[in-house]
Amino acid sequence: MAEKTWRDYVQRKRTHPSPLKGVRVLEVCTMLLGPIGPALLAQLGAEVIRCEFPPMGDVTRSLNPFGWFYKDQSPLLLHINQNKYWVGLDLHTPQGQALFCELAARCDIVENNFRPGVMESWNIGYQRIRAINPGVIFLSKTGYGQWGRYAEENRPSNDGASQALSGYSWMSRFPGQTPLKMRAYIGDNYGGMCAEVAVLAALHYRDRTGRGQFIEFSQTENIMRAMSWVWPYQQITGRPAEPSGNRDVSVCPADTFRSSDGIFVALAASTPEEFRGLCAAMGQPDLAGDPRFRDHLQRLREENAVAILKIIADWIATRTAREIEELAEQYGFAATHLYTARDLVEDEHLAARDFRTEIDDPLLGRYRNYEFPVKMSETPPNTRWSVRPVGFDNEYVMKKFLGKNDDDIRMLYASGALGKWKDAQGRRPPPGWDGRAGLRTE
Amino acid sequence: MTAKTRGDWSEWSAWIRERDDPRIARTKPEALDDLLVLDLSSKSFAGCHCSSALAEQGAEVLRIEPPGGDFIRTCTPYGILYEGEGLNYLTEGRNKHHITLNLADPEGRVLFKRLARKADVVIETYRPGTMDGWGIGYEDLKRDNPGIIFASITAFGAFGPRSRSRMGDYDNIAQAMSGFQYDTGERLPEGETYEECPWAVPTKSGPWIAWFMAGTFMAMGILAALHWRMQTGRGQALDVATSEAYARIDDFVSLWYEHTGRISERFGNLDIALWLYCFAPTKDGAVFLGGLRLEMWQAFADMVGKWDAWGAETWTSVAPFTREAEQLKWSEMVFAETRKYTSDELLTMSLEYSRHGRLAPITCVVAPILSPEECMKDPNWIDRGIFLPVSDIIYGDVLTAQAQYKMTETPPRTRWVCQPVGHANASVYGKHLGIGPPELASLKQRGIL
Repeated sequence: MAEKTWRDYVQRKRTHPSPLKGVRVLEVCTMLLGPIGPALLAQLGAEVIRCEFPPMGDVTRSLNPFGWFYKDQSPLLLHINQNKYWVGLDLHTPQGQALFCELAARCDIVENNFRPGVMESWNIGYQRIRAINPGVIFLSKTGYGQWGRYAEENRPSNDGASQALSGYSWMSRFPGQTPLKMRAYIGDNYGGMCAEVAVLAALHYRDRTGRGQFIEFSQTENIMRAMSWVWPYQQITGRPAEPSGNRDVSVCPADTFRSSDGIFVALAASTPEEFRGLCAAMGQPDLAGDPRFRDHLQRLREENAVAILKIIADWIATRTAREIEELAEQYGFAATHLYTARDLVEDEHLAARDFRTEIDDPLLGRYRNYEFPVKMSETPPNTRWSVRPVGFDNEYVMKKFLGKNDDDIRMLYASGALGKWKDAQGRRPPPGWDGRAGLRTE
Repeated sequence: MTAKTRGDWSEWSAWIRERDDPRIARTKPEALDDLLVLDLSSKSFAGCHCSSALAEQGAEVLRIEPPGGDFIRTCTPYGILYEGEGLNYLTEGRNKHHITLNLADPEGRVLFKRLARKADVVIETYRPGTMDGWGIGYEDLKRDNPGIIFASITAFGAFGPRSRSRMGDYDNIAQAMSGFQYDTGERLPEGETYEECPWAVPTKSGPWIAWFMAGTFMAMGILAALHWRMQTGRGQALDVATSEAYARIDDFVSLWYEHTGRISERFGNLDIALWLYCFAPTKDGAVFLGGLRLEMWQAFADMVGKWDAWGAETWTSVAPFTREAEQLKWSEMVFAETRKYTSDELLTMSLEYSRHGRLAPITCVVAPILSPEECMKDPNWIDRGIFLPVSDIIYGDVLTAQAQYKMTETPPRTRWVCQPVGHANASVYGKHLGIGPPELASLKQRGIL
C-alpha cells in the first residue's frame, strides 16, 4: 500500500503543484543562517526574492572547500540557495530602501539576519514594513536575539559561536579532550529550519485570521532546545552534564566501534528483540538474560553499559564491517559503517529516492545535489534551479513583481539602487556564458 | 552604525520585548489551536520532536502509546528516572495528552480509525508497511478523511531498496550514515595509533541532532501540507528518512567528491571551507574565533597586536587563507596569541575593538566555549526565558529548554512538561469518542487500552 502512495513518485514529482505556491518571500540575508530558510520555502514552492548588495553580494560567494569553486560558483552558495530570484539592491541608498519597501508591500514574508538595529538604520525595520503591509510576517534571525545583554553588546555571531556558548560542542567530544567543533554548521542549519517552522506556523495563523507578526530568532538559544536531557539532568542532580564520545548514554548499546578490517562501525540494539538478536549474532545468547543487561534501564547504568560495550567492541574486532552489517540485517539490529562522501554519492537507495537529485540548470548545467528531505505525495518539493550572479534577475523582478518599465529600471540603476555583479570569482556567470542563458524573459 | 541609530535601537528593543517576552506568552493566541494531531511515534525521538513543534504552537496533540508505554521513555541518560520518567522524554512530552491504545488488537484499530476521522494530522514512525498491514495506513484513513495529513518518519524512508531493512531508526546510526560523523573529530597525531589515542576517531554530535532534524523537517512539511489543504481541501502523505534529513544539511562534500574525487576528512577544530573559523585554545579554556569577511580577520590580527607583524594591511581577500596548508600555518600563529589570554579577556578585547578599534565597528567573533552547566547559569539566557522552569502539576518545576524563538502574536509556550503513560485516557476518550468510565474500564481490562 505504501507502494501505491509512492508509486512513480520520482517520475511524477516535477509535474505536481507545490504546497506553498503563491506565497512570496523577500529575503535580505547573508551567509548561511539567513538564506537557508528561504531556500527551504522556495523548494516548497514559494517565490523567494533574494536581495544582495551589488556588486560583490554575499560573503558566502567567496567560501569554498580548500579553494575549490564549481563553475566559478561557491559550492556553499550553491547548496543553500535553490529556486531564488536574485536582486542586486543597495540598501545604503534612499532609492534602494524605497525599492525594498515596494517589494515588501507585495510579499507575505520578509526575512533578514542582520544584527539588531541594522534594518532600522536602513529604514526597513519591522515597524516601517508593517505600516506598508500590516499582514506581513517579519523574521529576524541573529545570534542573540533582539533584546538581552548580548544583543545590547551588539555581538557578532556565527554558527561556531552558537555551538560554543550553548554547551553543544562541550557535549560533543571524548571525556578529557577539548570540545569539538562540528563539521556540520548545526546552528545555521537547525536554526534556519526551526525559524521556518515558526514562519509557517505564523502563516497558518494568518491564513486563519489575516494577522501577521514579528518573529525573532536567536541561533544560540535555539540549539539549546536540541540538547534534551542535559538541562533537567543538571537541575535535578545538581551535577554538570558530561560528554561521552561516540557512546550514547541514553541508548544502550549505541556506540561506534572498529571492525577487524579497521573500519569504524556504528551500532545500536536497545529494544528487547534487537538486543536478543545482537547477543545471538555474537554467539552469546545468554547475555540477553544477564541481570545486568536484561532490562534497558539496567543496561544503561554506567557500570553495565561499559561492560556490554566492551563485550561488543571485542566481538566487532573479530569481524569485518561488511559481516557486521549483514549480521545486523539478519538478526534484526542496526549497524553501519560510517558513510564517506563517496558512500553518499554511490548509494543506490539515495539515488532511487531521488534524494540525490539531478538539477538541470540553464546557467550551470547538470549536477547533483540533495533534495528537500520531505517527500509529499500530492505536492512534491522540488529543486528547480540553481544560483545566479549578483543582480542577475533585476529586470525580471522589477517588471514581473513591480510592473516597472525600461525607463524606471534605467533610473534605478542610475540612482545606484540597483546593481549587478562584479567581474570576480563567485559573483559572475560561469565561464563561457553566452549573455542569455538563465535570463528570464517572460 | 551611528550613535543615533543605536539609540533608536534601544527604543526598538524595549518595544519588541514588551510584545514578545516569553513571560507573557500565555496571554496570547496560539497559531495551531485549530488542529488535532495523533502522534503514534514509536521508539523514535524524531516523531516526538515533530509533534512537539506543533504542540508548542497550540495544536491538540494526542500522544498514543501502547498500554505499556513507548520504549523511548526508557532512553534516559545512565538509566536515571525522575518521578518515574526518563529525562529525554521529560523534555519532549510537552503539551501533549497522553493516551494508550493497543494497535495490535483489531478493536484498538477501530478506535484509532474513529479518532483519525476527526484528525488533521497523523504522525507515525513504524516500519514501512506496518500501518498498512493493520489497515490504518494512509490509503485506508484517507477514505474516511480526505484531508488527513499522514506523516511517516523512518530510518530509511517509505520506499526505496533500503526501506525494507529491519534496522530501527536510531540517532547514532543516522549520524553515521549522514557523512558528518566520518569527517568530524580530532585527527590522529603523527605516528600514533587508535589504541593510544582512542579519542582521535570520527566523532558524532552528543545531542540527538539527527532525530531533531528529521522531526523539524517533518514539521515544516506538515505545515506546508496544511497550507495547501487550506487552499484545496486535500490532504496527503509525507515521508522523511532520518539519515537523509541530517545528510541534507551537508554543504559541499558530495559535490566536491563527485567533481574532484576528494573525500572530506577530519580537520580537527579548523574548517574546510571557512577562515577565520576555528576553536582556539586560551589560557583557561578555549574560544570560538570567527571572521568570514577579510575585515574581521584583519580585526583579529589588529586586536592581538599583529597588524604590522602579519602584514594585515596587505591582505586583499580571505580566499588564500582557506587553503589547507595556509590554515595549518596560520592557525598555529593564531593559537600562539590566543593562549596568552583568558577566554573572557579575548571576548572583552573583541567587544572593545568593535567600539574603538581601527576597523570599528567591525570586529571578529569571539565566543567562549562553555559547558552546559555554565550556559544554564548565564543570566543572559535566563533573562531570555530559555531556562524559565515550567511549573508542571505532576512533575513540579522542571527546567527544560523552551521559548527557543519569540513571536509577537502567537508565541510558543510550554503549558506542561510531560504526562505518565495513559494519564489522559479518561479525558481524551471521553471528549473525543464519548467513552465513559465503565467502557473505559472494560477496554483497559481487555488490553485494548
